[in-house]
Formats: sequence, structure tokens, C-alpha cells
Amino acid sequence: MVRQPFKCRVVITGCGMITPLGKNTEETFDHACRGMSGIDYITAFDTTHLPCRIGGQVKDAWLEGEEAGAERFYKFSSRGLRLMRKATVEAAQQACLDNLAHRDRIGVSFGFHGDSPAVEDLMFLHRFYDGKGAWDMEGLMRTGGYSYLNFLRRKPDVATTILPKMFDCRGPNLTVASACAAGSQAIGEAYRLIQEGKADVMIAGGSEAALNFMGFVGFVLIKALVERYSTPQKASRPFDRKRNGFVMSEGAGAVILEEREHARSRKVPILGELLGYGASADAYRITDTHPTGLGAVLAMRGALEDASVEPESVDYINAHGTSTAQNDVTETRAVKEVFGKRAKEIPISSNKSMLGHAIAAAGTIELILTLMGMNRSVILPTINYEFPDPKCDLDYVPNEARKKEHRIALSNSFGFGGQNACLCVGKVAG
Amino acid sequence: MKQTLISEAMVLEEVKKAIAQTLKVDKDSIQAENSLMKDLGAESLDFLDINYRLEQAFGIKTARHFVLEHIEEMFGEGSAIDENSQLTGKAIALLKIRLGNDLPAELRPGMDMDEVPPLVTVEGMAKVVLDILDTLPEKCGACGGKAWKSENGLRIKCGSCGGEATLTDGDTLTQEWLIHVQKEKKIF
Repeated sequence: MVRQPFKCRVVITGCGMITPLGKNTEETFDHACRGMSGIDYITAFDTTHLPCRIGGQVKDAWLEGEEAGAERFYKFSSRGLRLMRKATVEAAQQACLDNLAHRDRIGVSFGFHGDSPAVEDLMFLHRFYDGKGAWDMEGLMRTGGYSYLNFLRRKPDVATTILPKMFDCRGPNLTVASACAAGSQAIGEAYRLIQEGKADVMIAGGSEAALNFMGFVGFVLIKALVERYSTPQKASRPFDRKRNGFVMSEGAGAVILEEREHARSRKVPILGELLGYGASADAYRITDTHPTGLGAVLAMRGALEDASVEPESVDYINAHGTSTAQNDVTETRAVKEVFGKRAKEIPISSNKSMLGHAIAAAGTIELILTLMGMNRSVILPTINYEFPDPKCDLDYVPNEARKKEHRIALSNSFGFGGQNACLCVGKVAG
Repeated sequence: MKQTLISEAMVLEEVKKAIAQTLKVDKDSIQAENSLMKDLGAESLDFLDINYRLEQAFGIKTARHFVLEHIEEMFGEGSAIDENSQLTGKAIALLKIRLGNDLPAELRPGMDMDEVPPLVTVEGMAKVVLDILDTLPEKCGACGGKAWKSENGLRIKCGSCGGEATLTDGDTLTQEWLIHVQKEKKIF
């Protein structure tokens, strides 16, 4: 193992989230501890006759009461960006981000895919198009044309345009769009920037709001979503034999990463240390994951090596655990490959059993829940675990949270198209 | 009823064309007995793409669910796929009836579900299309005419009113077939 001569150490000083289970980190964690489900029938749009009609929605009321000065951003923000703003404000407040003097040493790295165009927008445009290539541009311009605000809202990069403006941070800035891995990769890349001395502080996270016609129906058509369930709350059942697809949800998560000495010098509470990051690609097929979990193995090993942590030292794994037939088997295989005989001794649980899968937000939300569990010596459960699958034979922390001291954990995020990320976090003494 | 307007060769040709377009392979290199996954490099999502092309070409609706999923739905959990996600003996018995001599030799009880998709062949897909085309009703639903025709050798239309033939969709066809077989053979 070759270690770089010197790399800064990176700690977490702020966390924020908004999820189907709660309007902030405390509420989400509290509900998750009790094994509650945030999944229900979708009310955001008409799902009549769709084979999947459920999802994890964030309550609209939680998005009301915008933070001070936010009116300015409102018109630029689609739902995904409003979720992002809620989560980042919580994280920034916890880390006392306002107090920092050197704003050009604060950067932003955020996982976001932009929001799909609204069907209403497309219907409006339809009036000016003959379907064969010819546009009535005069009519389009005369009627006020295509709303440039809608255009802005859909661009993924608007996420990292709004955040620097909101928090007045002029450091490195990037948007990460890597499907289910985005929320973890955004944190991993931010961590690297601090390690390399390019920034002292990074706002990192992910947001997703795809519970609308355009965002949802595509997933239904490719049969990725759950179609057989007794109740919405029972539909997301990672590692259970009767799992049959994922449940899509929305939400956002954000963390404030900070160079350790920087955080110590300003005496903010340190919530945990980011020890390592591994990223990889399956390079296998466009939509199927590698059957032996090759990319997942590379990502987990990468994170461990980066952290200089031996597999023997890992106390907990926050699984990607989507509740699809494919992911849960390959993830189990990958964990066995990395941890050998010890695999069965390590508790591994999937927050998606309660929260559903918030795509670009999932990795961040799950890292924060991992951290919170570590600081409170609680391992969150995998709910709806009823029928063991012989191919998934690890300790998935079934149905009830477990009281257990743990100090080093991995958090996995494996993208649909083979983009993989794994973060290694450690508890900070005291 | 068994339709005679569109030949087996025609269907096979169209299936090859759909596969060639989807997978970007040379149509003439595709053999009827080729496995889509093993020989031609298809992945799961490609099946949806190929089906969509066939639906557009023939004016049909292919099944959204595999026959094994229908068995589970109709005859209860565990009837086709056991708790180890392996094929049951009853599922194999049923597939033997369905596929006859075309039953792949690898198909056996205890086989893992993951090993099933690679058994889908080019001619297997052609048979799916032919089965749906054979649901052609005797009379046109719109005008009652009995003279069917096909101008392009792909889509069947009414010779009197020119309306498209109403064919049974793939999922309904599978369900009807399962009810029929169960009645006769009482496998489940």
C-alpha cells in the first residue's frame, strides 16, 4: 500500500437532510431508529393504472417557511433545488459556516441531475411545433416564449450556482451526476479537494426530486421499480427473498466537510472523520450490474486502502441495498469478497428499506445516518426483512435497530449503470 | 385462429432485423438458434428495446411479464420459483408443454432463475410474435368482415374497412394459456 507523503485529514462539522421520514436529520434519524417507513401512495401526480404507484415523498409543508433571504432563489429553484436548500441550510447552521472569514477557501460539490421538464412546459411548446422540424418561432417569442426560468431549473449545474451564492463561498465548485452514486461521489470528491489543500471547507451532498411524471414513468417502463407489494410500507425490502424492485423517493442531504485542524482551531463540534473514499466503474453493461460485484469490490477496497483501514477493523456497513433482485445479491457477493469469512460478522443494513431510494441524495443521507448511528451507538435496521434469501446470507440487522458501539463504517452507493462509490467514516473520540 | 398472411420466415426476418438494429450487429450473421445474451451480447434492457421494435412493426403488444412471473401470480408464490430462487419441477413440466421440442436442454428443475434469460433465442422471440399473430379473430371487430389482408407482410388489416386487426396482448395470451393448460393437466 503506497501512502501519499502528506494529506490533510478531513472531518465532518455539519449535517442536514430532508427525507420522506423527516424534515431534518434528527427527525429522520429518530423515525429510522423506530423502524418506520416513509413510503406511501404517490400524490404528486396521477399514477392511476401504473404498475407501481408508490414512492417516498417529502411533505410539502416541510418545504414551506423558507430561510431568510431565500425569496431571491425561489424562482430559480425546482423542487430538487428547494430540497437541496433546506438540507444545506441545516448543515451550514450546524457548522456555523457564517462565521468563516476566508470565503474563497470554501467550495461546493453537489450530486444533482436537474429536474425533468414538466409536462405542462412541453404542452406549451407543442403549440409552436409542427412535429416535423418546423417551429413557429415568431409565435413563441410573441407569447413570452419558452420560460428561461424553466430552462435554468432543469440544468444540473444550477445546484452549484445557487449554493455558492447562498453561502458566499468562492472555492472549487462541481456538480456530480452519477445516478445512485452521486451523493457519495460528491462527498468523496470534496474530501479529495480538502486533502489536497485546494479548500479548507466544502459543502457537499446530493438532492433528488423525480416523483413526477417525467422522472418516474421511465423507471416504471424499464421495470426497475417494485410492482408486487402488500402495502406501500412493505414494498422496500432489501435482501428479503420477496423483494422485486426499488421504491423511488425524493429528498436531499448535505454535509460540511472541513480540514481537521481548521475545524479544531475554531472549536466547532466534530461529528466524525471521513477516512477514505473509493470510486470505480463496472465497465460491464449499460444497465446491468456486474454479476460478481466487481465494481463494488473495487470501490470498497479503494475506500479501505485510502483510509489505511484493514477489513478486520470495519464495524458496520451501510449497504446500497436497493431491494432489487440484482443489487442485493451482487452487493452481498462483493461484501463476501472483500471481507472473507468476517463478512457474516459485520452488521450491514439498508436505510432504503425505510426511506426508499432517493437516487442522487441517497449516498449523502445514508452517510449522515451512518455517522449519527455511530455517535449514538445505534445501528439502524433493515425493515421488512421477513423471508431470508439463501443468496443473501449476511447479518442485515433485521427489523429492529441495534444498540452497539461501533467506530469505523463503510457507506456504499452503487449506480445503476455501474458507477460505484464507497465512503469510509470513523467516530471521533470524545 | 391460425393466421396465414404472415409467414414464419417473414417473422423471423423481422425479429432478426429488430435485434440487428438494437444490438448493432450484422443481420445476416444472426442465426435462429442464437442466444440473445450469450451469442449476441444483449443485456436485460435490450429485450425491452427489441420487443418495442416488434410491437411497432407488427402492431402487437408483447408480454410485459415472463411466463414464470405469471405462474407465480396465478398459482401462488413458490409455484414456479422456490425459496432458493430456483425453478420448480412443476414450472419445468409446464415449460415442456409450452416449448415442446424447442425446450432448451439446459432447462431443469433446480436451475437458478438467473440462468433463464440467457436461454432466450432468436427463434424463441419469433415464436412469441407468431403466437400473438395467431390470436387473429375470425371477424373484424369493427365491420364484421372476414377478409383479412396484409399489404406489407407485417400488419394485418381488415379487407373491408381497412381497420387494424385486434390481437390479444402477450400477457393476456400467457394467462389464457395457463388457465387452459391447468384445466387439462392440473399441474398446480
